[in-house]
Amino acid sequence: MKRFLAGLLALDRRWIFLLVALSVTVPIVYPIGLPVTTTGATRAAFDYVESLKPGDVLWISFDYGPSSAPENDPMAEAFLRQCFLHRIRVIVSAFYPLGGLSLANASIARVAAEFPDRVNGVDYVNLGYKDGPTAVMRRLGDSIGDAFPTDVDGKPIGQIPMMRDVHDIRHVKAVFTVATGIIGEWWITQVHSQFGTPIIIGPTAVSAPKYYAFINSGQLVGMLGGMKGAAEYEKLLMAKYPEMNRFYRETKRFTATKGMDGQTVLHTVILVLIALGNLAFFQTRAAPREA
Amino acid sequence: MSATFPGIGIWIAAFLTLACFSFLYKDNPFFRFAESLFAGVSLGYYVGIVLNQTLVPNLFTPLAEDFGGNWDLLVAGGIGMLLYMRYVPRIGWVSRYALAIYVAYYIGVEFTRRLHGEVMPQVARAILPIHSWSAATLTSLVFMAGVYSVLIYFFFSKEQNAVTRRIARVGTWFLMVSFGAAFGFTVMGRVALLIGRLNFLILNWLYPTFGV
Repeated sequence: MKRFLAGLLALDRRWIFLLVALSVTVPIVYPIGLPVTTTGATRAAFDYVESLKPGDVLWISFDYGPSSAPENDPMAEAFLRQCFLHRIRVIVSAFYPLGGLSLANASIARVAAEFPDRVNGVDYVNLGYKDGPTAVMRRLGDSIGDAFPTDVDGKPIGQIPMMRDVHDIRHVKAVFTVATGIIGEWWITQVHSQFGTPIIIGPTAVSAPKYYAFINSGQLVGMLGGMKGAAEYEKLLMAKYPEMNRFYRETKRFTATKGMDGQTVLHTVILVLIALGNLAFFQTRAAPREA
Repeated sequence: MSATFPGIGIWIAAFLTLACFSFLYKDNPFFRFAESLFAGVSLGYYVGIVLNQTLVPNLFTPLAEDFGGNWDLLVAGGIGMLLYMRYVPRIGWVSRYALAIYVAYYIGVEFTRRLHGEVMPQVARAILPIHSWSAATLTSLVFMAGVYSVLIYFFFSKEQNAVTRRIARVGTWFLMVSFGAAFGFTVMGRVALLIGRLNFLILNWLYPTFGV
């Protein structure tokens, strides 16, 4: 045992990389279907959207890039599906410069294709990307049209049917910011604080801890923290809408629920490695005293 | 060849993903090529998207369509252009005016945002009155203990005595718990990115290539 533990300390770290790769690859090839439990912050976000009336308007901001897409894409698309199923009208924007708009375009295209009766400009509108989020957010309190004179395709905002009764951010029932970095925080500390618009956040797991303080202070309606939060949202969506249950079970696309298998297996491996590493460390520290 | 054989975009993405992963074995030219390509493409993408999504609809088009009603946009556009004067050494000092305006604007926005949007609501939550004893009361007390002990830990204007040193030690325990939570979330986030890439390689590239 002692030789084994001493050998671990001298192990080439590339063997660990290989083990990590295998731990994630095997559940992708052979899905396990491990259960996902929901948390209060995610349920609060889901229930808030369900409490809205059909025809109400929500704002989804794609404030992330490809570097966090595996975490953020599933939550953005689950949220969009819930809005379309519940007949909520959706305004889409992107404030993350490196790929936020491309990801927004791709997600809208994917989800809109699943709901062919939802019409661009009537049920949803994509306002595109704007530089300088803090200035744009401040402007949204005065006029959305001043900040976004056109939609992503260059169509003047005055000619978009669903924007006729949506003048500024106060006419929006909530903002869902799917965020990496600080942009999500700006929605809370600027838009919510100045205009009172409720905020739901879907941060990357790395950013999630800091947002618990905002939930605690009542500045956030709810939160979908990382891939786990996205998987929770998918589960809530499946429970509420049977057609989504079928969709998420049959789709060949990547979903957060599928990703959680790999998360659980790899976390178990990491825990074992941490325990073994500590055992080996203490064993080598004890060795000189024994000698 | 299968009808679903992956297109050239998928092959390029798969090659670049593997090139990045190859760094885990050791540094190599494929990794450095992918790294440099990413930096270059990101910059080009950023310039293009700002031009098409911000400057054209918010500056160029309004000026072209109604110059008389939008002439004031020239002021903002002109201040922005001043930033580039730093590349002309003889009049580089002009760019400082634009930078000064930008810094002043940002301080104004950040000051309000931090104070009104973050500090005040968080302070208000930290000093909730205790009306009755319940699980929520215990949470509030733990919260309050955490806030005060961490604040004392970061109070450097007076040398700590026997009492404040003990309170500061409690603060370090709160900090350790928060660092642990943050690290756990970080591991989860990084694993999610790995899962995303391996999903892409297996489901979008390998499976279609071999007709699975």
